[in-house]
Amino acid sequence: MLDVADLVTAYGKIEALKGVSLRVESGRITCLLGPNGAGKTTLMMTIAGILQPRRGTVRLDGQELTGLTPARIVAQGVALVPENRLVFPQMSVHENLLAGAYQRRGRGEIASDVERMYARFPRLQERRAQLAGTLSGGEQQMLAVARALMSRPRVLLMDEPSLGLAPLVVAEIFRIVGELNRDGTTIFLVEQNAHMALQVAHHFYLMEQGRVTFSGTPGELAEDEVVQRAYLGARRAAG
Amino acid sequence: MIDFLQNTIDGVMTGASYALLALGFTLIFGVMRRLNLSYGPSIMVGAYLGTLAHLHLAAGPLGVAAVTVAGAVLAGLYVERLCFAPMAAGAGIAAMVSSFAIWMQLEQAAILVLPRHTYPFPPLASATAWLGPFLLRLDQLIMLASALVLALGVQALLYGTRFGLALRAIIGNPTAAHLVGIDVRRATVLAFALASAVGGVAGFLVLASDAQVTPMFGMWATMKGLIAMMIGGLGSIPGALVGGLLLGVVEAQSQWYLGPQLRDLAAYVLLFACLVWRPGGLFGAAPVRDLARGRSL
Amino acid sequence: MDDYLVGVLSNIGVVSFVALSAYLLLLTGAISFGQQAFFAIGAYAAGVATALWGWPLAAALALGAAVSAAAAAAVGLPTLRLHGLYFAVATLAFAEMVRLLFELARYQVEIDGELVGPNGADGFRGIRYIFEHDLGPLQFLALIYGLLAAVLIGFMLMERSRLGVALRMVGEDEVLASLNGIAVARLKILAAGLAGALAGLGGGLYAHLTTYVEPRMFDVMLGVHSLAYGLIGGLGTAFGPLVGVLIDIGLLESIRPLAGYRMIVFGGLVALLLIARPRGLLDEAAVHWLQRAWRPRRRP
Repeated sequence: MLDVADLVTAYGKIEALKGVSLRVESGRITCLLGPNGAGKTTLMMTIAGILQPRRGTVRLDGQELTGLTPARIVAQGVALVPENRLVFPQMSVHENLLAGAYQRRGRGEIASDVERMYARFPRLQERRAQLAGTLSGGEQQMLAVARALMSRPRVLLMDEPSLGLAPLVVAEIFRIVGELNRDGTTIFLVEQNAHMALQVAHHFYLMEQGRVTFSGTPGELAEDEVVQRAYLGARRAAG
Repeated sequence: MIDFLQNTIDGVMTGASYALLALGFTLIFGVMRRLNLSYGPSIMVGAYLGTLAHLHLAAGPLGVAAVTVAGAVLAGLYVERLCFAPMAAGAGIAAMVSSFAIWMQLEQAAILVLPRHTYPFPPLASATAWLGPFLLRLDQLIMLASALVLALGVQALLYGTRFGLALRAIIGNPTAAHLVGIDVRRATVLAFALASAVGGVAGFLVLASDAQVTPMFGMWATMKGLIAMMIGGLGSIPGALVGGLLLGVVEAQSQWYLGPQLRDLAAYVLLFACLVWRPGGLFGAAPVRDLARGRSL
Repeated sequence: MDDYLVGVLSNIGVVSFVALSAYLLLLTGAISFGQQAFFAIGAYAAGVATALWGWPLAAALALGAAVSAAAAAAVGLPTLRLHGLYFAVATLAFAEMVRLLFELARYQVEIDGELVGPNGADGFRGIRYIFEHDLGPLQFLALIYGLLAAVLIGFMLMERSRLGVALRMVGEDEVLASLNGIAVARLKILAAGLAGALAGLGGGLYAHLTTYVEPRMFDVMLGVHSLAYGLIGGLGTAFGPLVGVLIDIGLLESIRPLAGYRMIVFGGLVALLLIARPRGLLDEAAVHWLQRAWRPRRRP
């Protein structure tokens, strides 16, 4: 469904992505694991159009996304839940959700989608009038996910949703990820928490120093080896 | 007592023009987090075009108003294109200095076209009326009404429309605004144009009540708008209104009781005191963190 | 050298002091629109010292620098917690207050049947020290550039010292700097005082160069120009502000035929320059490159 081919993104002279190719299958959860600085966030930002690649392509169902503005990419059906959540702090929870539907027309449908989000995330309903900046980290993460879903994406990209959250909240987030997927959402997840990610993923990639170094299903590689490579970036561990 | 009240009335009227200037200023700053020093000079370009229309095409007040607003918007978009659009996220100071360079440019261009020191500007309405013991000027009442209506209008736009939602999203977090599908570039340019139009209205009303225009107007407009905006609170619309009115009243009272020389001094003392005691302004929140670190200016 | 050239060069040298003053604050991350206030204070103080009190020039210049430094440190205190635009506008407000106070200030003494001294908005005439002591324009030019060279050497030594590193750290991130054990508040007051002294020294020289000062010379335009010089010339080295002044005053004076259009050309050029180089011509990268090109290459 989402095809990334030979993607190169650079900051000045430093290439953060050195030719990344991977594929996100429709209806599945695909995970990307890797140590800090591997280029995971750069990849997400490039797919979302915030960063421009120097080379390579991103396609959604065969349609070229490379070179489109972030707004056009959202319209094509790709929504990113960014790292560190990035909610609109001075806007209410409700307004944040409406902003998520910015590209869509039809007030009635948007309103019923908002209600659906409240049903899925009851905490957000309790805090619907509260300013998003005053929410806890876990609540902000839920709001960021709900906001992304409001655009009715075909693919949901999530960049480190567990970052800085307490273990119980992380478990809750991953429960929601699984639930969303069962309801038919295609998810591409970047994580450092390999243990949690491998429990939900159908397929995963390992990324080290701007390159994809492994592709397979969670059963294919022992978890401790994945963890070792994902955390320590130790290619040596593989041989 | 009558003097004091008459001064207050006069101050509110003058303050209305400051409020209008601050309104456009605060809109630009709110959305871009950058200071546009060329704000006043762009309005002046509009006013000079309006004066040309008045001198050569015998345009009446409404025609001049339209030309002034259109000219201010065009000049504003030129400034945006040259000084703000090409600047990267961390280059707030460069953008500000660049807008200063363009200020010099616009001012000289205006002087080249109309080289005399003063030119007549068509007055809007010179009627006066007595309300009990108080003297009121019709054109100043129009100014006050315009300030209130435009402030309410901008507030309604920000909090009641899709475009307003987009602007507030950009103010909150530009990256996240991109990610929810807002065309940040387009919304920013529109906000800039809107702010310049508000400034154009302000410029027209001020000059019409003075019945003349000089090349000093650009600097005057930037300074008064900046002071009123900072007193009221950066990025706050009620703040722009109250900051402008307060500045007007303080100026009027100090002019009457302390003399014209101390009038300007009183305005700067007020500004300095406001900044030191309440850095966020009367209506602004405390300066946000990235701003506090001086990153985005 | 003809008198015209000497005049232009003197002007460039004197204005460089205010530009360096704004640059020093910029290093600590503070944008000041108000360094012209200390330029003015220095000009008036030094002028009063020679013209009214008969002090020697060196003592008068030192007084100007000292009074300006004290004033700058005093303003630094209440504005300590202000940042970014808030600080910039507070310094602007202060500078305008100073200018307006000079418009009110009268302190005149009769010397040789003539009233000499600050006379409000009419200015301060008769700062004639260099004529009375037969200092030629060339000699005064040498004095200006001698002092400027000393200041630049001071900057170069500072950049290599702990103080220079600490100042740049405060400029990068105050919170981080304080976590690294830097007394941020003390350092900022010190920087404000030093910047004030620089501007004050320049002001003292300016007053004696022109023999006449008036409050409206020290308006916002001078302040914003001073800040702009650093950004045009480059933030990577103390030579940056000098290059900025040279481009503005030097270049513009030399293309007189363009008189009516010079701001149109210059304003546009500066805007384009800042798009290409947002930290000025001699930015940190350019300085690094120049240093490497300058030094003979060593084999590793």
